[in-house]
Amino acid sequence: MSQTAVIPQTANEAWILPSRGVVGMACLIVAESAIFTIFVVAYLYYLGRDQRGPTPRQVLDLPLFTSICLLSSSLTVHLAVAALHRGRRHACSLWLAATVLLGSIFLGGTAHEWYTLIYRDGLTIQTNLFGTTFYSLVGLHATHVLVGLAMLSLALVFSLNGSMSAKHTGRLEVLSLYWHFVDAVWVVVFTVVYVLGR
Amino acid sequence: MHDDATHGQGNSVLLPRPTAWPMALALGLSLIFAGMVTNVAVAALGLAMTLAACVGWFRQVLPHEAHVPVAVIAEEVEIASARTLIQRPQRSASAAPRKVLPVETFLIGNGIRGGIAGGLAMTVPAGIFSVLKYHSFWYAINLLAAGGFVDWASASNAFLCQFHLQGLLAALVIHGLTSLLVGLLYGAMLPMFPRYPIVTAGFMAPLLMTGIMFSALNILSPILNQRIDWPWFILSQIAFGLVCGYVVNLHAKVRTPQFQALSFAERAGLHSNLVELDGSQADPSQTGVQRGTQPGTKNGDKEDGAL
Amino acid sequence: MAVQTTTTAGTTQAAPRRLLLEVLHDWVTTVDHKKIGLMYIGYALFFLVVAGCQALLMRIQLAVPNNHFVSPQTFDSLFTMHGTTMVFFVGMPILFGFGNYLVPLMIGARDMAFPRLNAFSFWISAFGGMLLYFSYFGASGLYGAGSAPDVGWFAYAPLTAQIFSPGHSTDYWTLAILLSGIGNIGTALNIVATTICMRCPGMKLNRMPLLVWLYLVTSCLAFVTISPLTAAQIMLMLDRYVGSHFFDTQAGGSAVLWMHFFWIFGHPEVYILVLPAFAFANEIIPVFSRKAIFGYPAMVAASVGIGFISLSVWAHHMFTVGLGPGPNTFFTLATMVIAVPTGIKIFNWLATIWGGKIHFTVAMMFATGFLFQFLIAGLTGIMLSVAPFDWQLGNSYFVVAHFHYVLVGAILFMIFSAFYYWFPKMSGRMLSERLGKWHFWIFLIGFHLTFDFMHVPGLLGMPRRIYTYEADRGWMIWNMIVSSGAVFQAVATLLFVYNMVWSYFKGPIAGPDPWDAWTLEWSTASPPPAYNFAEVPTVESRRPLWDIKHPEDPDSRYE
Repeated sequence: MSQTAVIPQTANEAWILPSRGVVGMACLIVAESAIFTIFVVAYLYYLGRDQRGPTPRQVLDLPLFTSICLLSSSLTVHLAVAALHRGRRHACSLWLAATVLLGSIFLGGTAHEWYTLIYRDGLTIQTNLFGTTFYSLVGLHATHVLVGLAMLSLALVFSLNGSMSAKHTGRLEVLSLYWHFVDAVWVVVFTVVYVLGR
Repeated sequence: MHDDATHGQGNSVLLPRPTAWPMALALGLSLIFAGMVTNVAVAALGLAMTLAACVGWFRQVLPHEAHVPVAVIAEEVEIASARTLIQRPQRSASAAPRKVLPVETFLIGNGIRGGIAGGLAMTVPAGIFSVLKYHSFWYAINLLAAGGFVDWASASNAFLCQFHLQGLLAALVIHGLTSLLVGLLYGAMLPMFPRYPIVTAGFMAPLLMTGIMFSALNILSPILNQRIDWPWFILSQIAFGLVCGYVVNLHAKVRTPQFQALSFAERAGLHSNLVELDGSQADPSQTGVQRGTQPGTKNGDKEDGAL
Repeated sequence: MAVQTTTTAGTTQAAPRRLLLEVLHDWVTTVDHKKIGLMYIGYALFFLVVAGCQALLMRIQLAVPNNHFVSPQTFDSLFTMHGTTMVFFVGMPILFGFGNYLVPLMIGARDMAFPRLNAFSFWISAFGGMLLYFSYFGASGLYGAGSAPDVGWFAYAPLTAQIFSPGHSTDYWTLAILLSGIGNIGTALNIVATTICMRCPGMKLNRMPLLVWLYLVTSCLAFVTISPLTAAQIMLMLDRYVGSHFFDTQAGGSAVLWMHFFWIFGHPEVYILVLPAFAFANEIIPVFSRKAIFGYPAMVAASVGIGFISLSVWAHHMFTVGLGPGPNTFFTLATMVIAVPTGIKIFNWLATIWGGKIHFTVAMMFATGFLFQFLIAGLTGIMLSVAPFDWQLGNSYFVVAHFHYVLVGAILFMIFSAFYYWFPKMSGRMLSERLGKWHFWIFLIGFHLTFDFMHVPGLLGMPRRIYTYEADRGWMIWNMIVSSGAVFQAVATLLFVYNMVWSYFKGPIAGPDPWDAWTLEWSTASPPPAYNFAEVPTVESRRPLWDIKHPEDPDSRYE
C-alpha cells in the first residue's frame, strides 16, 4: 500500500482561511490605489504650472452636497449588507436603492460640474495642464463610480426579483468593499482638488 | 492512496466547469483596443463581444458556481526515497537522530535591554575621562555631538567644555541610537553564543562598537576622530559590554523550537546535560539542526553516503 | 512552432486519439491552472524565439562597422520590439506560467482561487502580444504611416508625442502593454488570493515552500508596479488621442515625469522578473544539494525586504537627467542597500550547497551558473548605482551588458533550470540529460562570449541603440566577439527546443518523484490529474515529502 501526503495532525485544529473574495478585492483595491496615486501625483506636480488659465481658484466650486451624498452612500451600502446578512431582503433592497440613488446624484453632480466648466468657463482637457489633470483624475474616479453603480444596480435588480438571499452576503460584501474604496478615493480627490488645490 | 473507498465524495471531485467566456471577454476587450488603431467597426464588434461575454461569465458564477465532476482515477503513487538509506547503528531511545542546537537561547529583546543599560553605563567612564582631562563634564558630550554640527569642527576646547543644549540633545540621539543598534546586533548574535553572555558581551560588544566606530568615524565625525582618546574610549566600551552582558544574563533563557524534538526525559530535566546527549563536544558556533556530526547519523546531506 | 506543440501536447491524456477540434476546444475553454500555466509557458517560448531572432538580426547589423544589413528604421523597431517583447511577452508570462502551474500544486490546492479570471488573464495577455505584432501589418497598412513601434522600450517623451511619432505605431505599443498589464494584475491577484486562501490544512505561512513565498512577494509587487505603468499609459493615450498635455513639453508638460512614472514601474519590474528566478533556485538548489534550505526565515525576510526596497530605487535609471545632489545621494544609497538582502540570499544558497552531497544534474548546473552570474550582474549593478560612475557610462553598452547579465545570466539560466527540473512533472517524461549538458555548456560559452565582452565597448564609449559605427572607433573586434557569442546561444536554444520535443515523445518515463524531492507537487502523478490531489493533503513541516519518506525522523519535530 502506498502512502498519501497525509500526515496525522497532532491536534485536530480548525483550519480557517480568509475569504478569497475579500482577499481578491483587497488586491484589486491596492492595484487601483496605485493607479490613483499616479494621477494624484500628476495633478499635484502640475498644479500652478499653467501657462494660461483658467486656474482652479477661478472656476472650481466645492461640490459639498454631492460629496455628502457619495459618502453617505457608504453607510447605506453597509446597511444593505447588514440587512441581507440578517435575511431581511426588503430592507436590503431599500438600502441598495438608496445607495444607487445617492451614487447617481453624485454622478449627476459631476456631470453638471463638467458641463459648466466646459460651456461656461471654456475649460476642456486640451485647454491647459489644469484641464488635463483635472478631467483625467476626476474622470477616472467617475468611471469607477459608474462601474460601481452598474454592479449595484444589478444587485438591486436581483434583490428586487427575489433571487438574492442571505447566502449571497459574502458577494454583496465584496461589492460593498469596492464601493467603500470608491468613496475613500473621493475623500482624497476632494482634498487634493477642491481643498488643497484651490 | 487514491483509494475510492476512503474518498468522501464517492470517486469524483468537483472542479470548475470549463468555459470559453473568459477568453471571449479577453478577445472582446482586445478588439475594442484594436478598434482604436484600426477601424471603429472592429471596436463595435469588440463591444458586442464584451457585453455577451460579461453576461455569459456572470451566468457561470451566479446564482451558483458551475461545477463539473471529474472522476478520480485510482492511481498508485509511491512516495519513498529513491536512495538506499544507510543502516543506523543501534542507539539509545533518547538519542535524537539530529543534533539539536541550541535548545535554549536568549530573546532578541534582551539584547536591546542590554544595549540600553550598557549605554547608560558607558557614560560613567566617559564622564570621568572628560572631568579628569578637561575639567568639564560637557566636553565628552559636545565631542560626540560634533558629529551632527559641521561648524563645530573647528571649535576650541573651551567651547566644547561649555554646556550647549543642542549639543546635549544631539549627543543623546547619537549615543542612544548607537547603543540600541549595537544591542540589537548583539541580541541577533546571541543564539550563536548562548552560554556565556557576559564574556561574549564583554568582549564582542566592545569589539563590534569599536570596529563600527573606528571604520565609520572619519566619515561621520572627523572632529571626533581627531580628538578621540582611544584607551579611554575602549575602557568605556568595556563598561558598556560588561553591563550589557550582565543585564542579558539576568533574563531567563527561552526554549527554541528545537526543544520539542528532544525526548521526554530531557525535556523533563532528567537528563539535562545536552553535551553528553549528542555524544560529542558541541561546537558553540553551530546553530543549525541540519548537520549531523555523529557517524551514522542520518540526515539530509548524509543519507546516501553508504551507496 | 514546435515549441508550442510540446507544451500543448503536454497534458493531453493518454486517452484514445481525439479530433484536433476537440483538443483545441479543451484548451480554449479550460480553466485548469495547469493547462493555463502551460499555455503561458508555450506562448512565452514562442515569443522568446521571436525576440531572440530580433536580437540575432541586431547583432548581425552591429557585427561589423558601417553595416547596412537592415535599414535604420528597421533597426529602431527591432530594439523596441525586442525589449518590449522580452519584458512583457516573454519574461512575465513565462514566470507567471510557472507560478500558475506550481503554486496550487505546492500548497496542496486543487485550483487557483479564481479559475475563470485566470483564463481571462492569460488570454488578454496573449491577445496583447498578438496586437503588438499585428502592428507590423496593421500600423502602416491602414493609415500609411509608421510600422512597428520604434520609440524604444521605455518610450521617452516627447518622442511619443503625436508630432514626433505620427500614425499608430506607438498606439500599438501602448495598447498592447495596457492589455498585458490587465492580464498581469489579474494573475497577480489570483496568485495572492490562492496563496492566502487556498492552502491545504497545516500549510501555515511559515511552512510554505519558498517558491510560494517569492511568488507572493512578486505578485504584491506587481500591484504597485504594473498599475503605475497602466496609469502612465492611460495618460499617454489621452495625450495622443484627445490632446491632453501630460507629457507635452510645448504646453508645460514634463518629459521627466514620464521617466519617473515609467521607472517607478521599470525598476521593480526587474525584481518581478528576478524574484521568480530566486524562487526556482530556492527549490532546486536544496534538492540537488540533498539538504534543507539554509536560513528559511532569513530567506523570507530578505525576499520581503527586496520587495520593499525595490520600490525606492527607480531614479537610478535617471542619474544622467540631473536630479540634484539630494535625490542622487538617496537613490545611490537605496540602490546599494538592496545589495544587502540579495547578499543574504546568495550566502544562504552557498550555505545550502556547503557540505551537501551535490548532484550535478542539468538543473543544478544551470542553478550553479545562475549563482556566479547573478553575483557578477549584482556587482556591475553596484558600480552603476554610483551616480558619478553612471554619468560616465549611462546609456552605454556597459549598461546593456549589465542588465542582460541579470536577464540572461540570472533569469534565463534559472528558467532553463526550472525546465529541466519541472518538465518531468509537466509532461511525465524526463528531458535528456546528455542533450541538456550540451545545451548548458554551449549556452554558457555563448553567454560569456556575448555579455562579458559587451562590457568593453561600453567602457570604450559605445552608446546603446546606435545603428552602426565607424571602423576607427576601436569597437569592431569586441562587437565581432559579442555577435559570435550570439550564434552559440542560438544553437544552444535550438538544442533545447529539440530536447523538449524529442523528450516529450521519447524521453524516459519520469514517475511521480524523479528527483527525490520534498515539496507537495511531487506527491501526485506526473503529469498531475485535473484535480491535482485525489485527497487534499495535510502537512506538518516545510518538507512534507521528507516526513513521509523518513517517518522515523520527520522535520515536523524540529520546526
